[in-house]
Amino acid sequence: MDNLPGSPARRGWLQWIDPRGKQGGGWGFLINRLAGLGLTFYLFLHLMVLGKLANGPESYDGFVKLAHHPVVVAGEVLVVLAVLLHGFNGIRILLTSFGIGVARQRLWLVLAGVLALGIGLFFILRMAGVLS
Amino acid sequence: MPQTKPTALIIGAGFTGIATAYDLAMRGFQVDVLERGELGSGTSGRTHGLLHSGARYCVHDQEAAVECVAENAILRKIARQCIEGNSGYFIAVNESDLAFAESFTRGAEQCSLPIAEVPPAELLTVEPMLSPQLLRAFRVNDGTFDPLRLAYAFAASARQHGARFYPYCEVEELLLDQSRRVVGASVWNRVTDQRQQYQADVLINTAGVWAGRIAAMAGIELPVKPVPGVMVAVEKRLCQNTINRLNEPGDGDIILPQRRMVVIGTTSFDAVDVDYIPIIREQVEQMVDQGSEMIPAIRQTAHRGVFMSSRPLIKASGDARNLARTCKVYDHEKSDGVGGFFSLIGGKATTCRAMAEKISDMVSARFGIDAACQTARIELESYRKFFQFGTEQA
Amino acid sequence: MNDLWKLTVQIKRYKPGRGQWTSTYNIQIHPDEYVLDAVEQIWAYQDRSLVYRHLCHHSTCGACGMRVNHREKLACITRIRDITRAGGTILIEPLRNMPVISDLAVDMGQFFRLLDEIDYDQVQPAGSLPTGKGIRPDKKQPDGIERLVDCLECGLCVSACPAGATSGEYMGPAALAAIQLSSSSGYADMLDLADSEDGAWRCHSAFACTDVCPSNVEPGWRIMDLRKKLIARQLSVMVKKNEVTHG
Repeated sequence: MDNLPGSPARRGWLQWIDPRGKQGGGWGFLINRLAGLGLTFYLFLHLMVLGKLANGPESYDGFVKLAHHPVVVAGEVLVVLAVLLHGFNGIRILLTSFGIGVARQRLWLVLAGVLALGIGLFFILRMAGVLS
Repeated sequence: MPQTKPTALIIGAGFTGIATAYDLAMRGFQVDVLERGELGSGTSGRTHGLLHSGARYCVHDQEAAVECVAENAILRKIARQCIEGNSGYFIAVNESDLAFAESFTRGAEQCSLPIAEVPPAELLTVEPMLSPQLLRAFRVNDGTFDPLRLAYAFAASARQHGARFYPYCEVEELLLDQSRRVVGASVWNRVTDQRQQYQADVLINTAGVWAGRIAAMAGIELPVKPVPGVMVAVEKRLCQNTINRLNEPGDGDIILPQRRMVVIGTTSFDAVDVDYIPIIREQVEQMVDQGSEMIPAIRQTAHRGVFMSSRPLIKASGDARNLARTCKVYDHEKSDGVGGFFSLIGGKATTCRAMAEKISDMVSARFGIDAACQTARIELESYRKFFQFGTEQA
Repeated sequence: MNDLWKLTVQIKRYKPGRGQWTSTYNIQIHPDEYVLDAVEQIWAYQDRSLVYRHLCHHSTCGACGMRVNHREKLACITRIRDITRAGGTILIEPLRNMPVISDLAVDMGQFFRLLDEIDYDQVQPAGSLPTGKGIRPDKKQPDGIERLVDCLECGLCVSACPAGATSGEYMGPAALAAIQLSSSSGYADMLDLADSEDGAWRCHSAFACTDVCPSNVEPGWRIMDLRKKLIARQLSVMVKKNEVTHG
């Protein structure tokens, strides 16, 4: 209208990570992005570590000692969860992108989460020695 | 010397103000429209959306009925994009309703209003949710419109002809010169929180239920009588056509389909301050009761929205239900000695184009502009084009 | 009256030149009234500088879209009882991803100009539209009846969309849904318009649009259906080309 200067739209990538008001698929979107970023970072680390192999057994052994540090173990757990969440939700997104199962996408999201966390829990318990 | 257009300042962008802006802009005025809120945010937005066949008025307000018959056809042609162009039915579900049938059919005939009797069994196949107590039914030419889209369609067309719209601008004072002629308005721009002045050759007051407030700024008293009522929108489209109670105009006498809802209306009571009216619970229950007599499923259907809306009636003696729904136009130079100032009060959504024609004829004649009204003949622009036409900044 | 609730209402304000700030109001209102009634009460009795958009008060016009406690809602059908309790606080902010005119009013010009380009009529034959929980047209609708379509053009979906948060050019769920509805009902074929990086391919399947839509449009499903159609079209073009060269 003719008297309204207006301001630029309130946008920004912060909207991606803002948890307030998020529902269902918004969480799927966020988790996939965080998991994706996390896995990319992990891939980089992984390659770095493998690179140490080129420096000989002492260098690699040094890393293996570090691998028992609780932070690294926690990181491993996160990686597994990230792979599971990103993977299962990714399958949901792949299928819905081709128009398959879209009407029940919220159900698939919940299932993806349950599967990912269930298998993740199994992995954690195994690592903790509770399960073999 | 280049011919400059006469300037008109319209106060109030409800259906009347917007349609007037369109008409005057087409006839060669430079029109500015001031509105204190969003376009149509007064009574116009809160219409239940009935495109009147006129049948509701054919007994007690035949002037309004005849106007509705004509304007119904015109709007169906020029505002097709905003209208569910189905039908309506007047139905009798008890003895009192049946007794009204004779006045109804006679009134319709007197107004040349097309009605057609429909056997109840046949109507129940078209409208299965109607009460099984259905005794008698007549089909009429009712329709449903969307208020934003109707308002913006007229506004888009007005803008296309050079009219300018200034929402969120509240008129605080009218500016008068020494000869008591209104020459402009002092306005509070609520967006920038600044005061501005607008001048024009003529000011037109179409502020609806607030028209009295505007006129008072020039020391004029207008017989505006706001009469609010409640409307209840429920979550299911329980009928495909408008369902009206075959009886005297009364509370809860209409159920109107719109999108996936039906809207039940309405009640009628006096109020002075109509800027905010709290919802009256008893009236909501009343709507459910009355509505359920025509469509029983209403009682089990969840409410989607409930709201109050104020009809801009004209003070006269008599029961509010039967106050005339035609409008009154004032040339305040003649009626009050205040020049450059016109008002239109009363009326209803369905006749907005005709009301605009009436006041535009009067104003144009004052300025010696001979252009005839064209608005009945031309299809309105798409309401979405409102955001395309016109200048960007004031 | 005893059955009124005392509430704190916080409203995100904006005036050009002054910037943004939050205003806090205390009101008393019946819990079966709606958020829009609360806003109107505040404007009427406490703060006439408050700017907000509203017309129909019953979810046909789409004008009163706002964020209520961080969720996109139509203020006119959001019952106070459903979003807070007596003594609670409501936060009201304007929609996102669109320029703010002032306070709770946003500029929907770009939104409507795009919808105008698509030009899907708001009134359609009832049989070409879905009913109930359906997504496809319900052919069992009576003949000769037309109705206003489901999409109110309220912009809640555009506000909720994370892709819209970082792309001013993205067509957005409402426009894409209109293209899908238009094309699949045979009204007009606008598939080309959706076949761009700012069209159906920009979506990242957050389905936030579907989550917030107050009017059964299912824009997320429609965007995915558009992709299916665009791929099918592309495949059939490739097959035809293959036939031409080898046939």
